[in-house]
Amino acid sequence: MRVVLAIAAKDLRQRLRDRSAWVIVFLAPVLISALMALAFNNNDEFRANLGVVDLDRGPAAAGLTRVLKSPELEGTVHVRSYDSEVAARRAVDAGDVHAAIVVPKGFTESLHGGGAEPVRVLDSVDYGLQAQLAEAVTESYVAQVNADRLSVATAVAAGAQETDVPELAAKAALLRLPEDVRAQGLPDDPLKVISYFGPSMGMFFVLFTVGFGARGYFIEQQQGTLDRIAAAPVGRGALLIGKSVSTFVYSLAGLATVTVVSWLAFDASWADPVGVAALSVAMAVCVVCLTALVIALVRTEQQAQGLASILVFALVLLGGNFVFASGTTPAIRTLALFTPNGWALRGFTDLGTGVRGWEAVGAPLLGIAAFSLVVVAVTALLLRVRRTP
Amino acid sequence: MTALAVTGATLARVLRDRTALFFMVLLPVAIIVVIGVTVSGFDQFRIGLVPAAQAGPVARELTSDLQEAPGLRTRTYDTPDDARTALRRAELDAVVMVPNGLDADVRAGRSVSVPVLVEPSGSAGHGAVSSVSAVVAEHAARLQAARFASDETGGPFDDTLALARTAERTASPIVVRSETVNGQSDFLPLGYSYSTPTMLVLFVFINALAGGAAIVQTRRTGVYARALAAPVAARTLVFGETIAYLLLAVLQSLLIVGIGALAFDVAWGDPLAAGALVTVWALVGTGAGVLAGALFRTPEQVHAIGPALGIGLGMLGGCMWPLALVPDWLRSAGHAVPHAWAVDAWTTLLSRDGDLAAILRDLGVLAAFATALLTLASLSLRHRLTTSAGA
Amino acid sequence: MKNVLECSHLVRRFGERTAVDDVSLSIAPGETYGLLGPNGAGKTTTIRMVCGLLRPDAGTVHVAGLPVNTAAGPAKQLIGFVPQDVALYPDLSVRENLRFFGRLYRLPRRRLERRVDEVLHLIDLGGRARDRVDSLSGGMRRRLNIGAGLVHSPTLLVLDEPTVGVDPQSRHAILESVTRFGEEGMAVLYTTHYMEEAERLCDRVGIIDRGGLVAEGTPRELVALVAERDRVRLTAVGGLTAYADACRRLARVEGAARSGDKGDVVELVVKDARSLLPDLLDLAHALDVGIRSVEIDEPDLEAVFLHLTGTALRE
Repeated sequence: MRVVLAIAAKDLRQRLRDRSAWVIVFLAPVLISALMALAFNNNDEFRANLGVVDLDRGPAAAGLTRVLKSPELEGTVHVRSYDSEVAARRAVDAGDVHAAIVVPKGFTESLHGGGAEPVRVLDSVDYGLQAQLAEAVTESYVAQVNADRLSVATAVAAGAQETDVPELAAKAALLRLPEDVRAQGLPDDPLKVISYFGPSMGMFFVLFTVGFGARGYFIEQQQGTLDRIAAAPVGRGALLIGKSVSTFVYSLAGLATVTVVSWLAFDASWADPVGVAALSVAMAVCVVCLTALVIALVRTEQQAQGLASILVFALVLLGGNFVFASGTTPAIRTLALFTPNGWALRGFTDLGTGVRGWEAVGAPLLGIAAFSLVVVAVTALLLRVRRTP
Repeated sequence: MTALAVTGATLARVLRDRTALFFMVLLPVAIIVVIGVTVSGFDQFRIGLVPAAQAGPVARELTSDLQEAPGLRTRTYDTPDDARTALRRAELDAVVMVPNGLDADVRAGRSVSVPVLVEPSGSAGHGAVSSVSAVVAEHAARLQAARFASDETGGPFDDTLALARTAERTASPIVVRSETVNGQSDFLPLGYSYSTPTMLVLFVFINALAGGAAIVQTRRTGVYARALAAPVAARTLVFGETIAYLLLAVLQSLLIVGIGALAFDVAWGDPLAAGALVTVWALVGTGAGVLAGALFRTPEQVHAIGPALGIGLGMLGGCMWPLALVPDWLRSAGHAVPHAWAVDAWTTLLSRDGDLAAILRDLGVLAAFATALLTLASLSLRHRLTTSAGA
Repeated sequence: MKNVLECSHLVRRFGERTAVDDVSLSIAPGETYGLLGPNGAGKTTTIRMVCGLLRPDAGTVHVAGLPVNTAAGPAKQLIGFVPQDVALYPDLSVRENLRFFGRLYRLPRRRLERRVDEVLHLIDLGGRARDRVDSLSGGMRRRLNIGAGLVHSPTLLVLDEPTVGVDPQSRHAILESVTRFGEEGMAVLYTTHYMEEAERLCDRVGIIDRGGLVAEGTPRELVALVAERDRVRLTAVGGLTAYADACRRLARVEGAARSGDKGDVVELVVKDARSLLPDLLDLAHALDVGIRSVEIDEPDLEAVFLHLTGTALRE
């Protein structure tokens, strides 16, 4: 046990003496998470700044504006009025508003039948979603009118007398659409950007240290200190555990730094600190296993560096450390579940949206464990095949 | 001539290293694919659909109306719980639960509320609700018409519903027409046309920084010292190395541009302007790489700090997300790094059909960056080579 | 008294090649044993088996009666291993290195600190204890390399060519300290291909060539093997390799090899140099080799080696 600690302490001391290791494991993930937190400070909220041009000046147009300012859309839609279409166009063009709704002259009258000029939505290529919203709100507003007109037309088609149309229209005007939409909020917390990308960047850089660890092994082999350790009454087991402990502690310290800084400085939130700790520990164990795999696979320091980089980038790409996994396609989300970091990020996503305990981290922990076991099995097999002394 | 010998040796070393090739081509292309797939479909709301357990024709019609609505990207879930989880994880903007008794209620003349689940704060939830509302309202209009006609004429509901569908096709409702006013995008196009240029900017730079590691390595092995012992000026060595890394950066750019054009259908815009931009950016990267080669002490430092630095600068400069999204001060700060100018220039070329004149200002700034970096790099590398004992 | 090291019939093959072939040797307490042989003779392989770094294909190693194997047996506690290269952590300080290697041998804390101080004094690095190893000179690193094998007070110290590539001054210091270890009762196994080191340091010398131990004894005993013989050094120009080959075919010539810093010397071990000399000169004339000088010496270990293996130690 003392020997294990001696080896672990020596490795850690060496790593901490290496300034680039500090940059990689502690500084870089914190700085990059900070950058992300700053960049997306308020931008996770969807906002639509809409311009309205009221050429109708009747009650119907006023009604539309009222819908846009209704309590449901408050906080999402911000309305600005323009006197003329030209002014509204200029505003959209300059990016002052994302889109503008032009209510044509005679809109109110058209509700009572007669020629209907289209309501136009002026949009900008960059704000498709906002244009979509403006269009949808306007369509919902004119929907009742259109439904009433359709009702009359259908009644006529079904055999009602053409002469009765004014009467039918009056009746139809009293109808209400038989289906509407009722929005219900989910009770959980929305996912913050930092709650996802903080751990994500932490994992990315900690996975990077697989290369460090593997290279360190070959450097020790080259400089002969590994022989020296083998000449001492130190079992291979003790050596393996000692080196693993240092890699584990180092990885865990990196992950802990990022999560704690994300939490304290950038307001990341996770429902369950024990869950966060469990995921971090699991990832740190996995980093140890991956380091062992790289050492078992290669023969030289350069190969270790190269293989580790390729392995890490493949994992990080598939696992969703670079892109928000929830924003990608289902296929990529499925692929992510073949990586330990993908599982961990799913765990952090769930923890970040208010899920606690086993429900949040159970599957991720099992996923990471399964991956680690496969890695250990492959490593053990490789070592058995190419055992040297 | 001597400089060319240095160039040749460096090129041969890099091109023989398979790991370097991975970082040069394979990794950028992989990331382009992942990001390209991710950033498509941003102009649609992502809707989860939970169909009614026992769906009649009316419920089925509503379901298919939602699925076919152009502004919505729907995905069907078997259970409400699955859909709820997806919504919580922000994989969806809203979840539409088609009510079980929809057909019965509608036939009985009752009003029906379709529940739509959203994330209460933030996200695109409310916008998504409005879009769903529009589709539901259109569907409801047919139901209202059918029921009205049925009440007025005594015909069966299913017949009048069919009539309503026909009437809808011939009706002249008040339409909402959209018109694009601002075609001058501040963003790159979505999909691969977004990911390819940004990753080109990111990776040419990161790769050039990694090249600095090779320079440090050569410095430490004493190859430079040996070369300097031959009748070769330090200036020539630096020049030769710079040309080698410039060629590598250009080669990498051409590969990414080529793969982007052939495999991902990226239209790179005006060829002259694109060519100038690629070249100037390669110069910026080379300057940064040679500077790294002069400043760092060990190759490990470059390998460790290079990617972190490259990613950080890339984020600041808008390679990871459009700078138009971030707060103003951060956007201004971002323009302190060359990446921002390069991404701006690509945006002009790809999204606004810009030509050489349109990106002249960006090119000018980038050229200034390149000049500054290259000058600094050659001065400090020469300084290293001629003054320090072990190089 | 019981031997500290007892190797019997060690064999180790690497693929087709037999690196060590049936080597047996033993070292008594306080004895300094030199394993002498050219590069590639099997010295390092033997040492790696002695230290339990390599498993022998056949044969056994015992240290103070305890079997040595590649597992972490108690025998390893008794061995101090000094590798040929400087095997230290360049980014740790002198004291940190000593302390680390001491902890591998489970020294209790207080004893460890005391031993580290003693070793620092012994290798004369007390003033540099806090400096990082990569700031030390080559000679200092060599001394520390030996020191790291001494922290746990081993019974058997194994040094693998500790003086290769060392400046004369440090080399002198290293040889001095090895002499002292012997005097203090430590058994030392020492490999070298420097004849004069073996002659000066070792109580007994084993000569190893092509994996086999060809002779063993005190330097005096070994020299006695060639007592009737003379060592002849011819400095010459011309086709010396062919000349050496031709000499070897002469009767009464027991070994001939080309050597010397410039390759301009042919060394021979012969019986009765005086009567043979005309033959050698004739042969030189026939092969168009120009003789510049001739030396005839009393035999030493170098001559023993030439006699036993037919080739020079540093060919």
